[in-house]
Amino acid sequence: MRILVVGGGTGGTIVANNLARRLSGEIRAGKVKITMLSASDKHMYQPGLLYVAFGQMMPDELYRDQASLLESSIDFHVDPVEQFELDKNQVKTKSGKVYMYDVMVIATGSRIVPEQIPGLAEGAETFYSEAGAVKMFKRLREFQGGKIAVVVGVPHKCPIAPVEVIFSLNDYFKARGIRDKVTIKYHYPIGRIHTIKEVATWAKPEFDRMGIEYETLFNVKEVDVQNKVVKSEEDTEYAYDLLIAIPPHRGMEVIEKNGLGEGGWIPTDRHKLTMNGHDNVYVVGDTTNLPVSKTGSAAHFEAEVISENISSIVKIGTPVRDYDGKVYCFIETGHDSATYAMFNYQNPPNLKPPSKPMHWFKMSYNKMYWTSVRGLL
Amino acid sequence: MTTETGTPAAATASAEDLHQLAELANLVTAARDAMSDDIVTRLAGAMSEGITLLDRLTRNEGLIYLLQELDRPENQHFLVSLANAFTEASRELATTPQAQGGLGCAIRLVRDPGVLEGLRLVSLIGSRLSKSMREMHRHGG
Repeated sequence: MRILVVGGGTGGTIVANNLARRLSGEIRAGKVKITMLSASDKHMYQPGLLYVAFGQMMPDELYRDQASLLESSIDFHVDPVEQFELDKNQVKTKSGKVYMYDVMVIATGSRIVPEQIPGLAEGAETFYSEAGAVKMFKRLREFQGGKIAVVVGVPHKCPIAPVEVIFSLNDYFKARGIRDKVTIKYHYPIGRIHTIKEVATWAKPEFDRMGIEYETLFNVKEVDVQNKVVKSEEDTEYAYDLLIAIPPHRGMEVIEKNGLGEGGWIPTDRHKLTMNGHDNVYVVGDTTNLPVSKTGSAAHFEAEVISENISSIVKIGTPVRDYDGKVYCFIETGHDSATYAMFNYQNPPNLKPPSKPMHWFKMSYNKMYWTSVRGLL
Repeated sequence: MTTETGTPAAATASAEDLHQLAELANLVTAARDAMSDDIVTRLAGAMSEGITLLDRLTRNEGLIYLLQELDRPENQHFLVSLANAFTEASRELATTPQAQGGLGCAIRLVRDPGVLEGLRLVSLIGSRLSKSMREMHRHGG
């Protein structure tokens, strides 16, 4: 059986490594071959970008060579897919090669598209790329006081990020002794301060305690970079000295160009994680159109289900597990405390009080991530 | 009477338990206060690399086989002999004049039966190794 994994992010890497472990006997016997096609020879720990934006991590700590994270039995190529030919069970890559498959896992991820909102790319600081996070840290470092606006584009990766950046800003300026000179205003696109009701209920008194101003139903329409004003679709506006944005996201361009899914999100069966209408094509992580958070943890839990099912199909001819929508999000509530939200399709999150050990758990996870993508945790 | 004498003893035991619990809590608090983000990060980093290394070692068939072979008494004895030979050779080398080179020097060296035995051991290992490697490549390994 030829298994093709397209994309070398969190989801793709965990699927490939888990499969290589589960099917090691079949691979040795020549019955199974796993191939991974990726756009990059580097693997980035994306949640670390928030820490870079606040000077808590250096950019080089976020990267590892992709090949070093993969089981040696995986045939890895830096050669991104440009054409998906699902009717022929094959893909064509940038180099012109054709890869046939019996089972394919699409794990191409998502991308930021700040250009969708006029002025956002030029006027706002973001932490969704290495260059952006470093630039944001330098801007924060030189900031001596004034009004900071945090705005949120939709849809976006990591649903907790808007709340986390508020906690981090509060602690960052407290540590510098200038919190009283900084006004922080949070803008959120729906009618409460977070899309997850339980997070909104928990965060509101926390924002009040920290003196954070907030405005809900604020969908960013445009940024007047010249006059430093951010305007909403709801006809409100806010004059800022520093604008921080969670930029809107889309799925990868190759998914849209190949007509696999609107906005780059592939229609996916919420339990089987197969692409609708294609039982031999699995979708993992941000690439799905599932109503779950676009986070590394969702990709991780989905990847476990996919790899277990593909290996059981190889071994006994049938899948054995269903994805229950599980997501686990750490929530950094400042620079020395954290909590977490765990939920699935059936159960909403039940947030625990923030604590220092939980923050250390997150700090530890920042390092243990590499063990996790290798398929060990 | 039994109740009267039993109660103070139980109370004492309970007080001691509480004292020990308080000591334990103090220890945990002290450890917690002594920790920092940097310590936690470094510990986690070491643990992560350690787990990865352990995983690679335990799934390496060659290493596992080597460990099984090293469990044999004769191989353990061989290892001890090898370690001793390294030490003795190192000391001897330090006190022996530097070799002049040339055929005469080589002939003088091979006159030593020990050297010849050593060469024979190396050639035996080489012979078996090459046979095994040839077999592996013949089977596409």
